[in-house]
Amino acid sequence: MSAELPVDPVALREEVKSKYRDVARNPNGEHHFHTGRPLARRLGYDQALVDSMPDAAVESFAGVANPFSLRSLDPGERVVDAGSGGGFDCFVAASQVGPQGKVVGVDMLAEMLEKSRASAGLMGLKQVEFREGLLEQIPVQDGWADVVISNGVINLCADKRQTFSELWRILRPGGRLQFADIANGKPVPAGAMRDIDLWTG
Amino acid sequence: MLAEIGFADIRIGPPYDTFGEARGEKKARQFAVYGYSFLARKP
Repeated sequence: MSAELPVDPVALREEVKSKYRDVARNPNGEHHFHTGRPLARRLGYDQALVDSMPDAAVESFAGVANPFSLRSLDPGERVVDAGSGGGFDCFVAASQVGPQGKVVGVDMLAEMLEKSRASAGLMGLKQVEFREGLLEQIPVQDGWADVVISNGVINLCADKRQTFSELWRILRPGGRLQFADIANGKPVPAGAMRDIDLWTG
Repeated sequence: MLAEIGFADIRIGPPYDTFGEARGEKKARQFAVYGYSFLARKP
């Protein structure tokens, strides 16, 4: 573990996998955060669009804010969703970039990838693709993306600088980073920073 | 950190009460944790 990081990145990753594997398999189960359609409503997503999606495309959504609220996407744009989970934000992005655009969702969990690919197929979204990968090593070439989106995932990465640098790498010059995440308004004690349980719940 | 890496035109949206009425609300309130939307540009 890096001396500069408060937790072991590998241990944190395994804890995150365990937590979100459960969200994939039991989206309506007991979680410490909201999920699915009620969460999308709480975060101000386009209700008509959400209503048009099948349950499987929405139920594992576990974002923390709305990456489309400050700016929507333009038709034809190339988008990467860093930590795409069940694919919900990719499907929202696909509706904005249209069939001429391209959306690549990246996630480390096989269960989420299986679910998101099935939903994309069910909705006939040929412009959406899902790839297995980590935010610290995104399987996308340099400068490919017009926009990188992410929702509630960067806070789960131990090395934020490395993660943001990777997002920078895949953006083209002039490209946009539109992400949603949590921030604390009160200082977190050093001991709590080293508590992996607090990072994930 | 975004600015240090080189991002420009950084904007932050209003807070979302992400954890309100959820099981994690108590811990979220303890540290005033809210969700935010961010927008930044790579020059």
